[in-house]
Amino acid sequence: MPRSLPIPLAFIAICLCLAPIAQARIKLITLPPRERVEIQLDNPGATLVEEERIVPLIKGENQVDFSWANTQINPETILFRVIAPAAEQKLDVKVLSVSYPPNEAALVWSVGASDSGSARVRISYILGNLSKNFAYRAVATRDESKLVLAQYMRLQNLANEEYGKTEMWAGFGKEFLKPIGLNETKEMLMAKFANVPIRKTYTASLSEFGYLDQPQQKLRIPMHYVVKNDKASALGTAPLPEGKVRIFIEGTEKEKATTFLGEDWGRFTPIDDEMRLYLGVAQDIVVKRTIDRNDKIRIAGNLFDHAVTIKYEIENFKDSPVTLDIVENLRQIRTEVRGSDNGRDVQWELGKDTTFEGGPDKEKSTFEKQVFHVKLPARGADGKAEKFLHKLQITLKNEW
Amino acid sequence: MKITLLALLMIAPLAAQARNVDLSTVPKRNTVQLTIYNSEDLTLVRETRAITFKKGANPLQFSWANTLIDPTSVELKFITSAEKLEVLDTTFPHDKPQMLYWNVQSEFDGEATVEITYFTSGISWSADYVAVADKDEKQMGLEGFVRVSNNSGEEYEDAQVRLVVGTINLVEKIAQLAQVPMSAVDKLGEKNRSELRLRVAKDAMAPMAGAALGGGKAMEEKEIIKEGLSEYFIYSIEGTETIRNGWSKRMRSFEAKSVPFKIQYRYRPAEYGDQLVRMYLLTNKKEDKLGTTPLPDGVVRVFRDNGRDGLSFLTQQAIKYVPIGDKIELNLGPDRNVIFELIKLRASRDEIWMHVDGVDVYRRVGQPGVQVEVNSSVAGWDDHELYTQRVRNYTAKPIEVEVRRAFPGHVVFRSQLKATAHDYQTVQFTATVEPGKKSDLLFEILRHEGRNSKQNNVTIEETEVKP
Repeated sequence: MPRSLPIPLAFIAICLCLAPIAQARIKLITLPPRERVEIQLDNPGATLVEEERIVPLIKGENQVDFSWANTQINPETILFRVIAPAAEQKLDVKVLSVSYPPNEAALVWSVGASDSGSARVRISYILGNLSKNFAYRAVATRDESKLVLAQYMRLQNLANEEYGKTEMWAGFGKEFLKPIGLNETKEMLMAKFANVPIRKTYTASLSEFGYLDQPQQKLRIPMHYVVKNDKASALGTAPLPEGKVRIFIEGTEKEKATTFLGEDWGRFTPIDDEMRLYLGVAQDIVVKRTIDRNDKIRIAGNLFDHAVTIKYEIENFKDSPVTLDIVENLRQIRTEVRGSDNGRDVQWELGKDTTFEGGPDKEKSTFEKQVFHVKLPARGADGKAEKFLHKLQITLKNEW
Repeated sequence: MKITLLALLMIAPLAAQARNVDLSTVPKRNTVQLTIYNSEDLTLVRETRAITFKKGANPLQFSWANTLIDPTSVELKFITSAEKLEVLDTTFPHDKPQMLYWNVQSEFDGEATVEITYFTSGISWSADYVAVADKDEKQMGLEGFVRVSNNSGEEYEDAQVRLVVGTINLVEKIAQLAQVPMSAVDKLGEKNRSELRLRVAKDAMAPMAGAALGGGKAMEEKEIIKEGLSEYFIYSIEGTETIRNGWSKRMRSFEAKSVPFKIQYRYRPAEYGDQLVRMYLLTNKKEDKLGTTPLPDGVVRVFRDNGRDGLSFLTQQAIKYVPIGDKIELNLGPDRNVIFELIKLRASRDEIWMHVDGVDVYRRVGQPGVQVEVNSSVAGWDDHELYTQRVRNYTAKPIEVEVRRAFPGHVVFRSQLKATAHDYQTVQFTATVEPGKKSDLLFEILRHEGRNSKQNNVTIEETEVKP
């Protein structure tokens, strides 16, 4: 049963001077309302709520009662800080002790005041079930060269507490001043990045994406939009947090409506890194990959080199030219030619019969993963696609 | 109040307790002192009461129904007129488990102050800390708190509270002894239990002369006085405190402002997992506004002034006892603005040794000549791996990074990183990365394998390594 009353903070003016709260039979309670609330969402694992209240105090010792029934406030994290006297007065305020009654979600601050007056206090606590996540909406231009990327923060309030006008901050980007009600989810536009250049990629990678048709050794060719989180791409101000990306494409000039292309999980993307969004499988680009040669060359005893040639037969049935990325994992090749992975590093050399123009992409390749690019023209006017033949020659060295 | 002391007004033999009409007086507690140990569920209670004795035998009944007192530990001492008073015997009645009778012989008519001491369980204390770093992350405010919880079943009003920091030895748990009637205690097998415990706690049992009465000063925060004693540290809370049964109370034990600290990024997989973490490093010493007390085990909650008139919650972490002069290391977890990658640039093998198993000789039938084949298998080799430890700093400040990596086996670590050996198989190196920059920390690992492996240590060679 949700409570509609906010977390109460009670200032208890005790008529029995300095008597402990449980003994006070006659008590008068004032309920200082929240003056200001901030929800700090910058910690990935915890939500910090800070609320400011103006608390009336009398000279001497005061009891200030704070209770949080039916909410998931972590009582160990509650902080009471005096920001300033509420009016222009000299008031020295100090927390003397905190008492925790048994079997109650409550505490009582014993607060000493040098004079009677009001103090502005800030109460902070970690609150459970008030969580955030991120989502993106990407709209590609008709020619798939640019995106408009909108980033949203979704705040879900299952904390059983409502907050009026609340400042919210995710640790980056802009702040929001909005109310958040009980069981409410609020989606807020964090940022909108226009003219973000994208690269549409077609990737042939047996180790990552497997076969489309294994008996025929045809590889699955997924398509991605690749967005680089850097200044040149109109981004690069902060890491992009992980979240679902819904991808649309602009309509024609006549029909303005966008078309939904699909969705993917955008991974956490640091500055200067790439976010790769999966769009689906390209059916019009056919890549047949075969191991053309596997020559075992004995060095001594059980020590061998393997001269391996991988052949690619590539056809583009699209009406537009594309660049195909061919990715080879050296461990994958060794497992194919030797039947197992012995766990040792692969020592290898690229052979001179390799036909990929310009060799491997140095920026994208690592020692165990080599990336090559192949430019494919559109199919001919007669509808026929030209078949391109490429070879990769690799020598695996010192294997046993 | 469940613990009562009754002065019985009948001069009846203690054995004849089955009576229906009874009269007694209830002398009140004058003072009470609690010495609470946090390493064990143990509290030493010392209370004084004033009793009027008459000449001759004075039966006293002491009972503690529904509390967690260890019956073997209850002792009675005479603070005044000790030479005229004597406990003749102590009786634990078989039918009333949480009760005892003292038979006191008095040589005079008049009032005397007695002190009753006993151990109870159910009262505990713990420490916790709140650290708030300033917005520039150069200094922090550090506050220590102690929280006393009373679940002993007894209300202790206006008690002088002393907290013992340190570990003591107990041979039996007080909570267990509290559940056992006195008649069954000896069957537990150990003799001199209370003596053992008393000896352990003896150093902490300072006289009660300092125990002031009253509720403390209205406006001022109570001071927590810290003093070292033997191997222990004692926190005495100024004045007296009332800690009601079921309640707990938290008080500030110290407050240090502007404590300087250093930020370091560390990669120590054995301690912090396979990630680069951000650390706040400070020292519990006087020059750094701390060092007035060792810091008992407790949870530190770390916040930072977010520069927007609010706080950011950074982490909470349990720390172990920090002696004066020792370091406090707070792990804030990974920083999303610092990217830490290990990239393998090259790998190769050489110095391959073959073990010759034998020789096969082949001769094709009807043909001249023979073919000799030597059978052998790889028995030893050297693996070379070239790595870059890449650190990208997207924060606004230069960062200091410390990396510890373990390389088991017979390994040579080659680099220009001025690396040092943390232990026989762990290499440590540091680097500073400027804001907005990336650092490529190159190193080569030469690993002797198989028969080439002659030992189990890392050797560090300072030499140029090219990518």
